[in-house]
Amino acid sequence: MAARIRVARPTKIELARLKRRLKLATRIQKIIKDRLSILVMEFLQTVRESADVKERLQKEYDDAYKALSLSLGYHGYAPVEQTLMISEMPFSLHAATRNVAGVRLPTFQMEENREAAHAVSPAENSSLLEYTSDMARKCLSTTVELAELQSALELLGDEINKVKRINNALEYVVIPGLDITIKYLSMKFEERDREEVARLKYVKLLIEKREAYAY
Amino acid sequence: MPIDQGQDDVIARYLGSELSSVNAQLPKKRKTLSQLLREEHPRVSCLDGSEHFFRIDELRHLASILDDHEREELMLPMIIEVHSGRSDMLVRSRRGDEEQGVEAKVFAEVLDMPVSVEKTGVRIYRSQLGAMRRALKTTTQYVFTL
Repeated sequence: MAARIRVARPTKIELARLKRRLKLATRIQKIIKDRLSILVMEFLQTVRESADVKERLQKEYDDAYKALSLSLGYHGYAPVEQTLMISEMPFSLHAATRNVAGVRLPTFQMEENREAAHAVSPAENSSLLEYTSDMARKCLSTTVELAELQSALELLGDEINKVKRINNALEYVVIPGLDITIKYLSMKFEERDREEVARLKYVKLLIEKREAYAY
Repeated sequence: MPIDQGQDDVIARYLGSELSSVNAQLPKKRKTLSQLLREEHPRVSCLDGSEHFFRIDELRHLASILDDHEREELMLPMIIEVHSGRSDMLVRSRRGDEEQGVEAKVFAEVLDMPVSVEKTGVRIYRSQLGAMRRALKTTTQYVFTL
């Protein structure tokens, strides 16, 4: 996009103001570029983590379903359902935010209340059921972990887009616009100076001529 | 006994001119590790009005690295200074050259390699940043400087 010259008043004060603004815009663009690189790094790291957690979750669900089908096969549907109905593991999910380079990302913390739990115990049930219950619990905590990473990914992606747009606006519109306006004003003032010098020379010549005629 | 940390000039340094708006996510006041460990939901308030929470398992991991005296000394979140146009970053310490062992100790332990300690703080390179952020997601924060 071609930069446009925007100048309200072609004065030296305006030129000084534009130079100050250009300096500030350049400084801000530097900071924004840094922020962008940090955000991209965090995004890529979250992508990698998210892929790992997804893989782990897939494996855990596989194991949990295998354990559940084994339990069902061994004990039968009704006893397993009865055991699952009476067993419970109360947990609390604490949702909060953390800040990454100005982006508020969610953070979930799952806390299990083992004291208040009526979990499947090996004394009353088979170890197979206990294993199934453990696997299900693992799946739940990994799902929470994945939810945190997925929402972080979305928020970081949005912020990267926003920062990229700001960076592009500064790089391709604001800074070139200021640059070209400063150049235009500088040329105009130089031209004015040159005209002034030529005018003074002409006046000097006229005065000299007048003085010569006077004699 | 808690050590008197004085005024937190590390944060005050980053809030000049236009940098204040870029660094609005900084905490109003940092807390020591032992202070945070005593809280049920450890957090600090930020300058933009939001709250930054710390993961308890991360705090416990830090506590396992440090002794009691160092837990009183470590201010959280640790602030990673990002300089424009430079590939390395700095984690400033409020202590003098000979006393800034806490941050250096934490990073050396997390990265499993010695870190370069300078007069102004601990220097971190971009290649190390990923590993460090993975381990210390909530206990570190970025700040942008020129």
